[in-house]
Amino acid sequence: MSRVGSPTIWVLVVVLTVLHLLLHVGLSYERGAPDLLTLSLLLASREVGLGRAAGLGFAFGLVEDSLSVLSFGANTVAMTLVACVGALTRDLFVGDSRLFLVSYLLIGKWSRDAAHWVAAGWVESGAGLRQPFVEQVVIAGGIASVYMAAVGIAVAVVAGFGREP
Amino acid sequence: MPPYGTEPESNGRHRDLIVAGVILVVAFSTLFLSRTTQQVISTAMQVTVLRPFIEVQRRLESARVRAARVDSMVARIDSLSALLTSHSALVDENRTLRDLLELSERATPEYVPATVLRPGTPGSESMFIVDVGRQDGVRNGSPVVGPFGLLGVIREVRQRDAVGMDWSHPDFRASAMLEDGSAYGLVARRAGAFREKDRLLINGIPFNLHVDAGLMVVTSGLGVLPRGIPIGRVEDEAETDPEWRKSYWLTPVVRLGAATHVLVLTERASPEVSDLWATDSVR
Repeated sequence: MSRVGSPTIWVLVVVLTVLHLLLHVGLSYERGAPDLLTLSLLLASREVGLGRAAGLGFAFGLVEDSLSVLSFGANTVAMTLVACVGALTRDLFVGDSRLFLVSYLLIGKWSRDAAHWVAAGWVESGAGLRQPFVEQVVIAGGIASVYMAAVGIAVAVVAGFGREP
Repeated sequence: MPPYGTEPESNGRHRDLIVAGVILVVAFSTLFLSRTTQQVISTAMQVTVLRPFIEVQRRLESARVRAARVDSMVARIDSLSALLTSHSALVDENRTLRDLLELSERATPEYVPATVLRPGTPGSESMFIVDVGRQDGVRNGSPVVGPFGLLGVIREVRQRDAVGMDWSHPDFRASAMLEDGSAYGLVARRAGAFREKDRLLINGIPFNLHVDAGLMVVTSGLGVLPRGIPIGRVEDEAETDPEWRKSYWLTPVVRLGAATHVLVLTERASPEVSDLWATDSVR
């Protein structure tokens, strides 16, 4: 991905976060709205460094967990893990194309849902609530990943991420 | 020319790894925090960062409910006006008869109207927030009812709002009985193949008792929930323990997605809420 300036990425993070909370908490769209929190985390993780990415993931996860009576901590673990892995991909993959960006966002979002499903299983009440893996992660998570990646591409075009060489 | 030009970057990388490692450990530890600590963190977030967004939902929901109910309210007011004209005479007659029979006054439940807010984030599927709290007389365990019956109970009360769980929560339990009083049991949620297929199950029905489909199951008043709140209708038999009991699937009377405006029982109603729905008792 092409690098965008530090202020730009933080502005993007704030805008996407506010939009996510407005759509999900304010307007209760649930799955009808894309997961902009994970999108901003994935985009920021490759730009701000491992430590800050982990901190951002932790904060985002805590915000989502504060509305989750059943599986407190599952979002925090999932978001922090995804942020760390996202930051590490910067060393492993130097891809700068839209194709890489799409793959990165798809896998990143799907991994976040899978990690949440696993972590929720470690909490007693969360394990009782979660749906079967195929239904919750493979099907619902897959659709959500495609949705988020599509929105992510639009955001990337506007913000100047992943320009074609 | 400095011989070790890459050293500062390496140090920064090392520091980043340590910071990330520490944050990861802290993140994992949140899974195992005590319930009280989790509630403290949740409350702090909800009254600070999330407050504007929860307020947006509350206002939108109130506006939506008001808009949808104007016509219905007008019709109800008209009907009530007609009923009230003959009601006062009946009330007076009822009081006189109760005095003659030495029956105590039936307590009336005191509810506060509330708007249900759904967070819509992962893991919050079976919880809701109501815009009434301790200052309105709401307490832990207060039942939350919709127009047709029981939606759930309050789990955590704050000054101006409260968090509740609906009947699809894995921890939801309600002591219940068949509407005709022929059997008592415990109602709990059973997960379906997918979330929309979640159902309720009543356990502990005597195995020699046949229950007809369609019979209403209501709260029995034996637990924290008052007696007589509809929970669901018997659908079909789920399983039979040949030794002594049967269980039946219930169709919940309250559809979770449709519950937006509810009533919450307050502690002002009576210190012992089960008395509120009890049958007449001699003074």
